[in-house]
This record gives sequence, C-alpha cells and structure tokens, in this order.
Amino acid sequence: LRAAMAGVLRAVRPLLLLLLRRGLRGTAGPPSARQLREAEEAAPVFQYAGKAARRKDRVFVWGFSYSGALGVPSFVKPDVGWKKPRRIQPTPYRLETEEKISSAACGYGFTLLASNTTDITKVWGMGLNKDSQLGFQRSRRDQTKGYEYVLEPSPIPLPLEKPQQTRVLQVSCGRAHSLVLTDSEGVFTMGNNSYGQCGRKVVEDEIYSESHLIHQLNEFDSRVVQVVCGQDHSLFRTKKGAVYACGWGADGQTGLGHHNVTSVPTKLHGDIAGVNIIQVSSYGDCCLAVSDEGEVFGWGNSEYFQLASITETTQVNVPRHLPFKIGKIKEAACGGTGNAVLTEEGNVFVWGYGILGKGPNLTETAVPEMIPPSLFGWSDFSSDIRVAHVRCGLSQFAALTNRGELFVWGKNLRGCLGTGRMEDQYFPWRVTVPGEVVDVACGVDHMVSIVKSFT
Amino acid sequence: LNAAPRRAPRQQVRFLPTPAPGGGGAVELVPTRVPVLADHPLVRGPRFRRLKIGAGHRLDVKSSGVFVLGIGHGNKLLTDLYNCHLTKVYTVSGLFGKATDDFSDTGKLIEKTTFDHITREKLERIVAVIQGTNHKALLMYSNIDMKTQEAYELAVKGLIRPMEKSPPIITAIRCVHFALPEFQLEIQCLHETQQYLRKMVHEIGLELKSSAVCTQVRRTRDGVFTLDDALPRTQWDLRSIQDAIRNCRLRVKTELEKTLG
Repeated sequence: LRAAMAGVLRAVRPLLLLLLRRGLRGTAGPPSARQLREAEEAAPVFQYAGKAARRKDRVFVWGFSYSGALGVPSFVKPDVGWKKPRRIQPTPYRLETEEKISSAACGYGFTLLASNTTDITKVWGMGLNKDSQLGFQRSRRDQTKGYEYVLEPSPIPLPLEKPQQTRVLQVSCGRAHSLVLTDSEGVFTMGNNSYGQCGRKVVEDEIYSESHLIHQLNEFDSRVVQVVCGQDHSLFRTKKGAVYACGWGADGQTGLGHHNVTSVPTKLHGDIAGVNIIQVSSYGDCCLAVSDEGEVFGWGNSEYFQLASITETTQVNVPRHLPFKIGKIKEAACGGTGNAVLTEEGNVFVWGYGILGKGPNLTETAVPEMIPPSLFGWSDFSSDIRVAHVRCGLSQFAALTNRGELFVWGKNLRGCLGTGRMEDQYFPWRVTVPGEVVDVACGVDHMVSIVKSFT
Repeated sequence: LNAAPRRAPRQQVRFLPTPAPGGGGAVELVPTRVPVLADHPLVRGPRFRRLKIGAGHRLDVKSSGVFVLGIGHGNKLLTDLYNCHLTKVYTVSGLFGKATDDFSDTGKLIEKTTFDHITREKLERIVAVIQGTNHKALLMYSNIDMKTQEAYELAVKGLIRPMEKSPPIITAIRCVHFALPEFQLEIQCLHETQQYLRKMVHEIGLELKSSAVCTQVRRTRDGVFTLDDALPRTQWDLRSIQDAIRNCRLRVKTELEKTLG
C-alpha cells in the first residue's frame, strides 16, 4: 500500500504534494531502534513451565507385537479402518500407563509392569496368558472363561492380606511363569508349574490356562529382596545374602547338586555358602551371582562356554566361583547363550557364544572380553561417561549409561533391539529414546524401558 | 610482494661477435652468457598483478572466527582439505527468554517466555541427547556396512565419519558456561552452516520449554587451523601471512596424508 501511495505521490504535481505530504507525516517509515525496544518490552511473556515443573515418568515399548506383549491393542486389532496391524514396532513407542511404573519384566511373549503404590491395583500384565502367567483375566464376552492373549495392560489381582499397605517391589518373568515380590507379604508366583518353578508341588496333568491359583511363598531365612526367573526355574535372593532356587534342574540351573525337579525353594550351597550375594541374574538356563566383594559365581548350563573357564562339562549343578581377573564386579547379566558383567570402573565384559558385541569376528569366548568404552560414547570430550547397568535378553544385551542413554546389541529378533533396522547389531548401538532411560527389561523378542522425560 | 627481490633473469648463451684477440678487423664469435631481455623488470612489469585467493569453509556475516584462505597454489590444497571432511569447533552463545524469526538477537521478536525453571543440569541433559542422536547419524551417513569387522574397529577408534556430502552432523557438544539468561556451548560439527547452529540454539530453547536466541557464533577451529594460527585484522601484512603459511604447511601436509592416503 505504501509503495502504491509513493507512486501516486510522484505522479501528482508539487502543489498537491505539499498538502498530501503533511497529512502523510503521521505514518512511520522503518521502525527506529527505540521503537523496536519499546515494542519488545511491551510484548507479553508466556510461561510454559513453572519453577516446580516435575519430570514425567514414561514407559516405552518396542519389538514383536502380535503376542500382545507391547500392550498396544491397535497394533494387533486396529480400531480404525485405515490403520493396518503392526507386527513389529521397530522403534520405541510410548505406552500410556495410569500409574508411575517402578519395575518391569519381559517374559517369553508377555510383560509385567509393577508400580510401588499403595493403591489396590499394583501389577499390570499383557501378552500371552495361555498358562495364566498373568493371573486370571476374566473374559468380557463369556464370564466363565479367561483371555488367552491380553492385548493391553490389565490389572492382576493379587491375594494380598493388606492390599492398601503392601508395596510391590519387583516383578520377574520366565518362559511361562511370573514372580511378584512384595515388601511384607513374600513372593507371589503364578503360571506354569510343570517343573515346580512356581514353588508349589507339581500336580500331574494340571491345566494351567484359566487358572485362578496364585501361590504365596514366605518360608525363607530372611526377607526376599530380589526374584529372578530363568526359563523354567526361579531364583530368590534374601537379605542375608543367601540364594534359594526351585524349578527344572536338568541343566543344573537350580544349583542344588542334582539334576531333578525341585518344587520347594531350597537354599543353595557350593561356593556361595556363607557368601553375601548382592545380585543374581538368569534368563535362560545359566545363572550368575555377584557377591559384595565383587566376585562372580556361576552354575547351570555351560554348553555355550559360559562356565568353560573352570570346567569342561556342559552342566554345572553346584555354584562355582569364576576366577576372573577383571576387577571388582558390580552387576552381572545372564542371557541365553552369552553373559555380561559390569565392573566398578564402568566397563562391560562379555563372554559366551553368539553376537557378543565386539564385531562379527568374535562369536565365542570362554574368558570375558572388554567392550571398548568408546563404543558407549566415551571420548576425550566427554570422559565421565560410564555404563551404569547391564541387562540381558535371550540373545540380546542392553547397557545403560550414567547419562541415561541406552545401548543395545545382539540378534535383532523381530525388531526387539529398537534400532529401527531389522539387521543384527554386532557392536553397541544407541537407541533413540525421547527421555532419560532409568531401567530396561529385555525379553525374547520385545523390550520395555522405564524413562524419565528430560524437563 | 612486488618489492621483494625477484628471481634472477634467465641467462642464455649467445654467440656474440667480439674483436679477435689478434687485432685487425677480424671478428670472432665467442659464446657468452647474457641475460634474456624478455626477463628484464622494465620489460616484464611487476611480477604479481593479481593474486588467486580462494576461500575455505563459509562463514556468514553475523559470525566471526577462523576463516581459511588459500593463495595461489594453496587453492589446490583447499579442495583436498574439503574432501578430508574434518570437524570444526564453534563457540556459540545464547540467551534464554526470547524467540526471533531468524534465531539471532537482531531479528524480529516473535515470543518472550519465562526461563527461571531452567537449570544447568537440564541443559546438559538436552545437550547429551543431541550428541547421542548426532553420533548415530554420524555412523549412518558414513555409508559403511555395520556388519563388518572393519566397521567395528573404526567405530572403536571413533574414526567413522561421512566422507561425502551429508546433512549437518554435530560430533560433540557441551555446555561451557551457564548464567541465566545467557549460556555458552562448544560445538564440534561437520558439514554445518552457522544458521544451522543458530537454529540448534533455538531448538534447545524449545526443548527446555522456553525459547532461546543465539547472540554469538565464533569458529575456534577449522580442521587443522586454530585460533592461534589465525591472523587478526592488524596483522594482515606480508610478513605475518608468510609466517603463518610456513607454520601451517607441515600440519596440513600430514593431515592430508593421513586422511587421503
């Protein structure tokens, strides 16, 4: 408009120009610096987050979704016509939960999420429920039957004596059974018990699907502080540092000195008798325990060189000390064919068979090999990066750094690594999660992570 | 430059007639070295009438810092240095509370926000995640097959980087100074533009649920050239330029040999 007016001005004769120009003096040219500053100061200030803004807790899932283990029903049965069923979720996907989830565990095709709240509903489960590993989920269509596949996080009713006081500390899942650890009422077990892994007597021809039975275990020498599920056995670690086991023992994974089935949790002896164990780990048929002095003990299956450093036999049924000279060990993680430990300095050592994380050339080793810290983001620029936790799935590994970054490597079975690609990953690769990863649970073909948002 | 002593004029051998030593009118041809007339300064004129100066990586008007130039034969080295894909380091200063249209503090104001909820810890968290995702992009754009043993070995040494054109990638970023509302970041990057860095500052502000503008972008290193090698405006004379070229020559040569083989 201003340009058009200027054109008109030039065309008009000088006499009229004077009159018009006086009238036009009111319009501004380009704003002066003072006008700009005043306009800036007068602009309104928006507030998007107050001083007391808290970081939010989120849950991200990824991997194979048709079993329902991801907890997103629209991946399996799309709710809208244009959506297609999503067989694999290759990158982290946010799962909406009602409560803050403090512990998560992935089993073979199912997931358990637990919150340490004092509300009535403390544990949610989703995925495969053919052996009632998620308790009894009453079907809405037929009140007498239960669901075989649970597609979204559904509450698991636990027979607690004081439901509004007890808190759930931790959950763990195996192949077809799950364990729930509470702070004052012991351990609750549910699911398949054909090998006594639920800690109760094996009943011949018991039908496990649509079962209401949740067993409570309370007879230990002291309070149970950690529960771990192997494929078909269960391990319990008590406050006094003792380890109890029950379940299938054909590979010696119960560590009780025999290869039979145990249906009552029994204390382990061997090299860990009298030792204060601070962490136990198992996922397949091999088990590792870490003592407070940084020593690691192993028992169970050794077909994949997991215990080959001390014995040539393929089954070890008594806990044996593994004399590794790699420093004080803080945490251990057992996978199906490979194991990983984390030392006090923050280095990760791997051994066993499979994709161990040191390139495609290293497929098996009986002695732990260190993964170079530069693969976890360590460099001269940022030299305070350390690995804080290691976790194992059946054929994958996950490592969490102190900066909250998640690194995964191993076989990418049905997209479970979460990298967005379908290829196996031979060295640690960062997973892009929009938040700081606090904990991660690895399963056979899916993973769940508990994340805190950035701001 | 033109006042500097020139190359000595070329000599040629000419057979010049000189009177014979015997005397009389006989003339002998004696070979003598005489300077070629074509090389005479009055014939040739000044040695340098213009200089070929090429520029290295771009630096826009609002930024400052190291700017690499090549003179004469050095222009060939410039192309080689470009193909080395070395990283550059910038010091970027930002200010919280404002958002402008061109992401710098001289642009048109779009929005003002509060920023008292921002702490150094939150900023460092965001900065760490930016570094992480860019590290992933670094590995992806380097076009190496991740399944090979050599890819693993390069990744361990940290030598994987894209050797062709790629979108801007930040290889390292950290916060060096934080005093609300201003903050300063040190960014090490590849294939970037200064406007991209300003946009990065704006996006950091958005992630922190506020807004930020960039007040200063200063390049402190470009490949092998650091601030110490750079000549300020007062030292743009022949002697300093010659010294600077001499100092950098060896470093540039070793770097080119190391990367391009």
